[in-house]
Amino acid sequence: MPKVKIDGVEMEVPAGITVLQACELAGVEIPRFCYHDRLSIAGNCRMCLVEVKPGPPKPQASCALPVADKQEIFTQSPTVQKARKGVMEFLLINHPLDCPICDQGGECDLQDQAMAYGFDRSRYHENKRAVPDKELGPLVKTSMNRCIHCTRCIRFATEVAGVEELGATGRGESMEVTTYVEHALSTELSGNLVDLCPVGALTSKPYAFEARSWELTKTESVDVLDALGSNIRIDTRGAQVMRILPRLNDDVNEEWISDKTRHALDGLRHQRLDRPYVRIKGKLVETSWDQAFAAIAARLNGMDGSRIAAIVGDQCDAESMVALKDLVASLGSTNIDCRQDGARLDGPRGSYIFNPGVRGIDQADAILLIGTNPRAEAPVLNARIRKRYLHGKCPIASIGTVEDLTYPVERLGAGPATLRELVEGKLGFFEKLKGAKHPLIILGMGALAREDGAAVLAMAHELAGKLNAVRDDWNGFAVLHTAAARVGGLDLGMVPGEGGLDVDGILAGCEKREIEAVYLLAADEFDTSRLGKAFVIYQGHHGDAGAHRADVILPGAAYTEKPGIYVNTEGRVQIGRRAGYPPGDAREDWAILRALSERLGKALPYDTLHQIRARLVAVNKVFAAIDQQAPAAWGSFGKAGTTSDAPFKSTVPNFYMTCPISRASKTMADCMASRSQLMAAE
Amino acid sequence: MASLDRTARSFLLSELITGFALTLKYMFKPKVTVNYPYEKGPLSPRFRGEHALRRYPNGEERCIACKLCEAICPAQAITIEAEPRDDGSRRTTRYDIDMTKCIYCGFCQEACPVDAIVEGPNFEFSTETREELMYNKDKLLSNGDRWESLIAANLHSDAAYR
Amino acid sequence: MYADLINFFTTTWLGMALVMLAQCLAVTVPLLVAVAYMTYVDRKVWASIQLRRGPNVVGPFGLLQPFADGLKLVLKETIVPSSANGILFIIAPMIAFMTALVAWAVVPFDDGWVIADINVGILYLFAISSLGVYGIIIAGWASNSKYAFLGALRSAAQMVSYEVSIGFVLITVLLCVGSLNLSKVVLAQSGWFWNWFWLPLLPMFVIFFISALAETNRTPFDLPMSEAELVAGFHTEYSAMTFGLFFLGEYANMILLSALGAVLFLGGWQSPIPYAPFTLVPGVIWFALKIAFLLFIFSWTKGTLPRYRYDQLMRLGWKVFLPVSLGWVVLTAAVLTFGGWLPKP
Repeated sequence: MPKVKIDGVEMEVPAGITVLQACELAGVEIPRFCYHDRLSIAGNCRMCLVEVKPGPPKPQASCALPVADKQEIFTQSPTVQKARKGVMEFLLINHPLDCPICDQGGECDLQDQAMAYGFDRSRYHENKRAVPDKELGPLVKTSMNRCIHCTRCIRFATEVAGVEELGATGRGESMEVTTYVEHALSTELSGNLVDLCPVGALTSKPYAFEARSWELTKTESVDVLDALGSNIRIDTRGAQVMRILPRLNDDVNEEWISDKTRHALDGLRHQRLDRPYVRIKGKLVETSWDQAFAAIAARLNGMDGSRIAAIVGDQCDAESMVALKDLVASLGSTNIDCRQDGARLDGPRGSYIFNPGVRGIDQADAILLIGTNPRAEAPVLNARIRKRYLHGKCPIASIGTVEDLTYPVERLGAGPATLRELVEGKLGFFEKLKGAKHPLIILGMGALAREDGAAVLAMAHELAGKLNAVRDDWNGFAVLHTAAARVGGLDLGMVPGEGGLDVDGILAGCEKREIEAVYLLAADEFDTSRLGKAFVIYQGHHGDAGAHRADVILPGAAYTEKPGIYVNTEGRVQIGRRAGYPPGDAREDWAILRALSERLGKALPYDTLHQIRARLVAVNKVFAAIDQQAPAAWGSFGKAGTTSDAPFKSTVPNFYMTCPISRASKTMADCMASRSQLMAAE
Repeated sequence: MASLDRTARSFLLSELITGFALTLKYMFKPKVTVNYPYEKGPLSPRFRGEHALRRYPNGEERCIACKLCEAICPAQAITIEAEPRDDGSRRTTRYDIDMTKCIYCGFCQEACPVDAIVEGPNFEFSTETREELMYNKDKLLSNGDRWESLIAANLHSDAAYR
Repeated sequence: MYADLINFFTTTWLGMALVMLAQCLAVTVPLLVAVAYMTYVDRKVWASIQLRRGPNVVGPFGLLQPFADGLKLVLKETIVPSSANGILFIIAPMIAFMTALVAWAVVPFDDGWVIADINVGILYLFAISSLGVYGIIIAGWASNSKYAFLGALRSAAQMVSYEVSIGFVLITVLLCVGSLNLSKVVLAQSGWFWNWFWLPLLPMFVIFFISALAETNRTPFDLPMSEAELVAGFHTEYSAMTFGLFFLGEYANMILLSALGAVLFLGGWQSPIPYAPFTLVPGVIWFALKIAFLLFIFSWTKGTLPRYRYDQLMRLGWKVFLPVSLGWVVLTAAVLTFGGWLPKP
């Protein structure tokens, strides 16, 4: 542990860190533009200059200088102050100073630091540099005149996003950050460029000129557009969600979020259900809550429980799920399922969560992907795998049809047969896995949401056993979900009870007229034409597939509009907070179910959020441990059986549109168009 | 003796009478007030009256929707919504001032980087309904057009001190 | 023909009622106009003292301002507070207004120009002006508001206090005249203006005027409706015409007390110089001029003096005016008795 003296205060710091990090540990803030914790060190902005003794008699870039024992660091000396002022003056020479029309205004590093170190007038009387703006796709707006060449964007694209598409051309004044050939960035993480850019050179295109940072109300919440449960901050102005930003959580998403998480928010404004509807003579007619409940009560009262079924959607909060489960149970039905895609998962908790956690990826030293395309299913998790890859000594292989995952993947094969071969040790990769200290098997929905899913699951279990991947100190069995509500649903036991029907059984029942009423809790991701003549109650927030088929629509709240508990694919229980209120007559989902239960004469025994959360804990203890990932129960699961030859295919063929919100989003449509254009060009 | 004097003064109400004499004298002095609707006092070029949104001489509106006026407004009387215009420039789609909230502090014009929002020399804009005092962008721009010459002259004459 | 008419108006009930109505109108209409213009004069005088212009926009020199104000009061909504006693709340301003008008029945405008030439005129006036306080007390109570209530209390205490000294002033005049009939009081002051009672009874005249200020709740004794402490006192809760009635009543009272002052001390309708051409001017004009003079002093006072503190007000009433006026009564009586100037009945 080197001992250093920072501004006269002596302290011990860990070896191998930089002077800038040491200063940060000492609580001294060093101004910086190019340095970023999660990116490689560039050392090109020169803003972090400090004086170091012993050393050359000139200030040094602290971000690129490792600490050494007996070093003396001065961060406030006149030399340093002068150096900072000088650097700032140089940076501002070519900066247009158009803060009033810049979206970064108010949250701009350059603006803040110019306030601290800037000079109030310019000594530069020549013309400023002019740089043509670049087209970086539908999400990132550029204003390259403002660029100060920190190269954070280039490093992010190259290192984290894994698309080597950004770079700098030219030298000195003619340096430009560019894509060489003009095209949209082909990454699902491009929104993070906007966060990284310390100036207003890269700003958010959909959010352009819409709001100022100081107008926004910030709510810390959780994302539900993929199963990772990224921590987000929802910025609202009045009732409207203006933007979504990542929130730092090293256990889940570090500080990145995917473009869908960030930009699907305009889907929250379109195609919303804001009033109850009842289908009268084949047409959906606006009505009141009272009338809608009356219509439901008229059909359900007296109906035999076995003729009632419920399907739970992919973005439901745990509160509404437990309310639905209790309601359906009180109606005497066991036909309930939260696995719309038909994933064969209902074993012990260890069988359906991402056991090692996202952090576990950093530890893994051999990774096997089975039937998953993490780049589409959870891009931020994919970036984490890429980060692991960059650290080296981690072979990665995949069974299934995968495309470019931004890191090299050994393609073992496409279907269950390959997996069988692997389990039997017939493939070379088996030895790599076997030799690894922390082997990681990531099982995707592409492998489980199929007829032979249980058999595949059994094989994966067998493989984990053979690799000794499940031990006291390491559980390398990981299921990567695609639905934010899935783990929560499974934790709550939202699977068919005794004699109950799963999704497929329910739909088959509908076709055979054995099921007469189906309650869809925001469930849209199945073939609604199979609902037959059943009486369909749809409770959800968007007018999507389910609502089109529904006989009664109960308008619910989207994830930004209700407090709710979500369990991510790791089994981490996270709380989402309300950032706004649902539109029109729409209400929080569990409250709707509570009100409906009373109309059906089966009043549920909870009236407040507190009470229903107590009920969650009563159903499953994991809901008591917020934001923690505990070791999960392990056991035997899956069912050995015959497997088909069909290749594993990711259940997320299109990253940009996976749910009612993203389907309603114009930005996501633009992204899709841009991406397909890019593909066509290639 | 002094007490006698004081008593005499008190009984003869001398203080009252001096007071009355004074007010009577003032009654015949010339009035100091301006006969307002017919004559008006001088206005400083810095006078903060009714708001106006100005345009550039080529007709382009100055406001760039930076929202600094909205942020600085201590009465929160200003509401702005913005979006990119067809030519990509940053423009307001809505610029409302609630004149019933406004306290005429002039911070908005101080904050404005392009001299778009100004408090002009007009102080006679009372209305018969509250609704008329909810100014929108059209109203503010038309104020700007109407008062431009005076506003420009005022800004020019004050420019040296800013 | 004329005999018939005279007969109709002097003997039949209907005729007499019509005459009475006409007499009432002949008094009240000019009175109300006078009240209206009194507000205008008030404002003009105060404005002049403060070097302002006063109302000058509505009509020439702002002369229509009182009517504009009146119209405004009529058109506004009468708000009865939910917690107020509705009936009393409405009745109170009526009482205040009516007592101010009723008193005018005995005031002689000229020789024989009086509606009711009764022998107890002064007593009647005294009684009626005491009734006026009921309007204020009722208003204060019925409003169910602390400000109004405090205002009413102050008003009642103040009126009671100063009526005592007014009473002694009246007694002094009564001693000099030997009659309670107001016309006789005027006739007793015939001759040059120094024969009027203001000179021989000067201290009483001053006490009378100051007490009149207190009686009418005018500055410097406007404590019952002081804006600063009581937000307008007893009429805090009143609006529109209910407020208007208080306002009218207050000004009518002011004019009444000025008229009383003119009758008691300034020789009523008599001209100041008992020779032509002054005697050719109708008595009613002289009377009006004298009232106007006193009213001007009312306004002038309000423009000059600040408000009294309440204890000062009470001290002045009870510890200065009461002994002084009582002493003056005794003195007058003694002088009249021993000087042999007692009026013959």
